[in-house]
Amino acid sequence: MDSSGSTQKLENLLLVAVPRDLMDDEVIELRREILQAIRRHGSQVVLLDFSRVDICDSFFGRFIYTTSKMVELMGAKVIISGLQDVVIETMVELGMTLPDVDAVLDLDDALALSRSLSRQYNHLNETAPPDGDIADEE
Amino acid sequence: MAEQISAGLPPVSIRVSDDAHAVLAAQHGRALAARLGFSVVEQTACSTAILEIARNIVKYAGAGEVTFQAVEDGEQVGIVVVACDNGPGIADVNLALQDGYSTGGGLGLGLPGARRLMDSFQIVSRPGQGTTVVMQKWRSAAPVREHASSSRGRP
Repeated sequence: MDSSGSTQKLENLLLVAVPRDLMDDEVIELRREILQAIRRHGSQVVLLDFSRVDICDSFFGRFIYTTSKMVELMGAKVIISGLQDVVIETMVELGMTLPDVDAVLDLDDALALSRSLSRQYNHLNETAPPDGDIADEE
Repeated sequence: MAEQISAGLPPVSIRVSDDAHAVLAAQHGRALAARLGFSVVEQTACSTAILEIARNIVKYAGAGEVTFQAVEDGEQVGIVVVACDNGPGIADVNLALQDGYSTGGGLGLGLPGARRLMDSFQIVSRPGQGTTVVMQKWRSAAPVREHASSSRGRP
């Protein structure tokens, strides 16, 4: 599949449709595309949408882990959604745990989370002293 | 083992030498499980275990073969999957079956995870002589028709 078509921007959220069959060589490309899109759009939250995935082995687990670590270094955050019930059952049975990665039920919840993060971020910026203050005291 | 080879469904072998083949093997496993009336959860477990094992072949041995066989034992119906390669083999099989152990930078879930998803799991490996995994899963209950899967969980 054409991986340039797998990300979409929604407010400060970057939507990523995880391909149904993830291959070794596609992972590197997809991760690069995600990092570039974060920079381009200033995204704060990356939503990995798994609704197309019906077989989720530990290779996907590794993909989620490495992606979340890279995204973290850009000051953004990975969340996941869209896992099918049977996929969830199998992932847990397989022994896959995803520490540090939050999951949301759907796009509504993802948007709510990214908006609340955006408010926190703006609040932090507003409470910082304006640049001119210190210079004026001299 | 008491099971017999299921009449009418000849064994199918898939040669695996890259990730796309591994995915193909997993999809074949799912299709066979569906055809034998496995539930969607069982189909997913089977195909996930196959994908783990097949990706292991590609990663550690470069190439190998996955063979599928439907089996019967009285009322029971199951799938036997044999995955073999002529790769470097595994130095310590018991260690490789432990959660979190990996020599390849993975999560170390492949072998132990696949074992948990299947009903039986055997592995034979010697350094320099390749690896063979034989795993089996039985259909748990009455056959599930493929089109009935969408109404799963409703009374």
